[in-house]
Amino acid sequence: MPDPSAKGVIHDLGYRHYEGERLGRAQIVRALYVDSAKGAFGIGRSAKSKVMPMLVLGAICLPAVIVAVVASVTHLDRLPGGYTSYLVKTQALIMVFVAGQAPASVSRDLRFHVMSLYFSRPLQRVDYVAAKLAALATAVFVLCALPLTILFAGALLAKLPLSEQLPDFSRSVGGAVLLALVLAGIGLVIAAITPRRGLGVAAIITVLAVLAGVHGIVQGIATEQGNDSVAGYAGLLSPFSLVHGVQHSTLGADTVYPASPPGMLGAWVFAAVLVAVVGGAFGALLLRYRGVRI
Amino acid sequence: MNATVARLTARSLLGRRRALLLLALPAILLLLAGLSRALAGREDTTTVGMLGGFALGTVIPLLGLIAGTGAIGPEIDDGSIVYLLSKPLSRSSIVTTKAAVAMAVVTVFGAVPTLLAGLVLSGTGARLAVGFGLAALVAGVAYAALFLLLAVLTRQAVVVGLLYALIWESLVGNFVPGAQALSVQQWALSITERVLGTSTAARLDVDAAVGVTTGCVLLAVVIVGGTWYAGRRLRSLRLTSDD
Amino acid sequence: MAVLRLDRVSRWFGNVVAVNDVTMEIGPGVTGLLGPNGAGKSTLIHMMGGFLAPSSGTVELDGEGVWRNERIYSRIGLVPEREAMYDVVTGWEFVLANARLHRLPDPEAAARRALATVEMTEAQDRDISTYSKGMKQRVKMATALVHDPPLLLLDEPFNGMDPRQRLHLMDLLRAMGDEGRTVLFSSHILEEVEQLAQRIQVVVAGRHAASGGFREIRQLMTERPHQYAIRSDDDRALAAAIIAQPSASGVQLLARGDVVSATGRRDTSSALHVQATDFAAFVRVLPRLAQEHGIRLYEVTPTDESLESVFSYLVAR
Repeated sequence: MPDPSAKGVIHDLGYRHYEGERLGRAQIVRALYVDSAKGAFGIGRSAKSKVMPMLVLGAICLPAVIVAVVASVTHLDRLPGGYTSYLVKTQALIMVFVAGQAPASVSRDLRFHVMSLYFSRPLQRVDYVAAKLAALATAVFVLCALPLTILFAGALLAKLPLSEQLPDFSRSVGGAVLLALVLAGIGLVIAAITPRRGLGVAAIITVLAVLAGVHGIVQGIATEQGNDSVAGYAGLLSPFSLVHGVQHSTLGADTVYPASPPGMLGAWVFAAVLVAVVGGAFGALLLRYRGVRI
Repeated sequence: MNATVARLTARSLLGRRRALLLLALPAILLLLAGLSRALAGREDTTTVGMLGGFALGTVIPLLGLIAGTGAIGPEIDDGSIVYLLSKPLSRSSIVTTKAAVAMAVVTVFGAVPTLLAGLVLSGTGARLAVGFGLAALVAGVAYAALFLLLAVLTRQAVVVGLLYALIWESLVGNFVPGAQALSVQQWALSITERVLGTSTAARLDVDAAVGVTTGCVLLAVVIVGGTWYAGRRLRSLRLTSDD
Repeated sequence: MAVLRLDRVSRWFGNVVAVNDVTMEIGPGVTGLLGPNGAGKSTLIHMMGGFLAPSSGTVELDGEGVWRNERIYSRIGLVPEREAMYDVVTGWEFVLANARLHRLPDPEAAARRALATVEMTEAQDRDISTYSKGMKQRVKMATALVHDPPLLLLDEPFNGMDPRQRLHLMDLLRAMGDEGRTVLFSSHILEEVEQLAQRIQVVVAGRHAASGGFREIRQLMTERPHQYAIRSDDDRALAAAIIAQPSASGVQLLARGDVVSATGRRDTSSALHVQATDFAAFVRVLPRLAQEHGIRLYEVTPTDESLESVFSYLVAR
């Protein structure tokens, strides 16, 4: 006969409390990073979310495949176009990728107010920001580096000398790293302040396209005026030309735009601005997420 | 056409963040035009480049995207469109009103500034301002209608629209000659070509892929047909939950 | 008078059948649409409101189909489940806009009346984005009432309301039902439906499981034995007498402290637990038995008369 003063009974349904080892903060960050990087290509997400990134990835690799095949079949003595200019020519695709995937990475968490789920774990705001930024940068880097690698492979298959190809390829890959960081930073900042679906995409593409357009116009005017230094500094206006400027003056790649950063000072200014943009983006994201209500 | 729907659409389209984007685009265009005129003086080729390339090629499609999807997309997305659908109001009148608001926004923020930029750049001569202003007007209206339809068809309208604008209008358009005939930009450009007259157009390398009649007809088809079809699709819109 | 008729309505999405051959008639008064989450209540309400076409069957309001019939919305007031409204306008502007969209002859007066009915007049000049969940729900009600519709459809209207707002809304809906309007609301919370609805339509897994008042539903399910808790001055003797009867299928003698009464309180006295297969006969025979054996009955309580047990029975079926 049960005790009438007994308050209640918890039944044993076989639920086991976890007493074992719990992975730490570093593993959480790593898991978030890997998941976000894969999610940028739709891996681990629904089939619909794979369409756009895969389409863009295919579109950006296609010309590279064609060039590689043509080069090896017709035994050209150098790759038509080269590595550095490839990313400049396909910048529209890269812009669309960033515009689509940056909101997919951070806007949903903000829109549906689930940030509290993240921060109730041993995950700091700086961890979240760093993981998301690194993840999108990695995805953009893969998007840029894959066609470059295809070109490189094609060049090797065409029996072009490795000693010529390798430095160019390495420089362009270095440029891809910088481009990925800059675009991911800008994209995530804009996405984090426009949680409404659709607006983030529109805002990012507007910013990137307008900056590119403005750069083209200003550089055009300056070149026509014969004002080479202004034309060179105009490269600071657009992320693509900024990265390219650093790539050219610091890494020594070939120039693609009509004007390049003038002299030693130009090289320093461009490098400094690039670092400032990436750092500023990181800081802006930290500020944004500091204000997130749990 | 319904005044209340128009008012509600205008209020949500011109809400803070979207309005910022909408204002920034013409502001930058006019700034560049002023800069160019001040530094480089009157140069017809520069004008064509800026109006044809930047205004018609970048600003107008972007405005069409922002206004066209913004006129109905957010309401479908968060479900507040049910308040319009649960009224004795025909679906086509809802869509027509929203399309009209979007088109007006694109005209005010896109076509008029293009005209002004043209005037700043080349004065009232050479008909460049009028030619490109008209092209911006019809292209903007067509883009707004297209993107509104897209927003009714899919929740991913902005991304799909971007992919269309990019991959179709620039990449395919550049590599597949026939495809150029199916580009809103080219249709609009045909009007510019006509306004400029054959000799000026040839001199400035303004060459549309279609003639002016074809261009206008196709534009009308897209504008009217797009809006009509959007109204039809709205009748079968499924009100789903989030996502 | 608005009568909503669903005739053999089914709706499937690909391979998933959300609503399976439902026939029901919703008349004046308050009807509760009850069912667990995922039972198809929202789908049904969407079909009733003309926002979804039935895959088969017809939905008619007073003989007129509701699908693709925009004119019928002057007779339907809908309170949707989702929270989102036009955030950038004030409550007053929003209700007024709804009144105008209904082409009412005097939209301002109608909006004022509707906002007064839901007690939102003080807050009406604030932006909707500043409203709490309950206030938004009340504005939704106002938009549904502004055109004085004979049919009101409410999808989970009590979601997120605090007890005071709930009571107020229940009073409002009861008043609407008493006026002769047809009010249909959906819920998965049994207490709400029990307190408010005059008739209940139970939907489980897309099928129309039961309809009627909940007591009627209960009484119809005679296969399931009714449970009673009886307290008397001689339980054992009573138990022996009861089990001899054909209308009872089981008795259980519960000692002190074992009995949990229908209100959930623990009883400190002993009691008799009876399972009756034929409750009509049992309730007639019990007083006679008690009198014959000289036993005094202190308490006879049905222990499963609540909607809870009805519901769990239907769900488990």
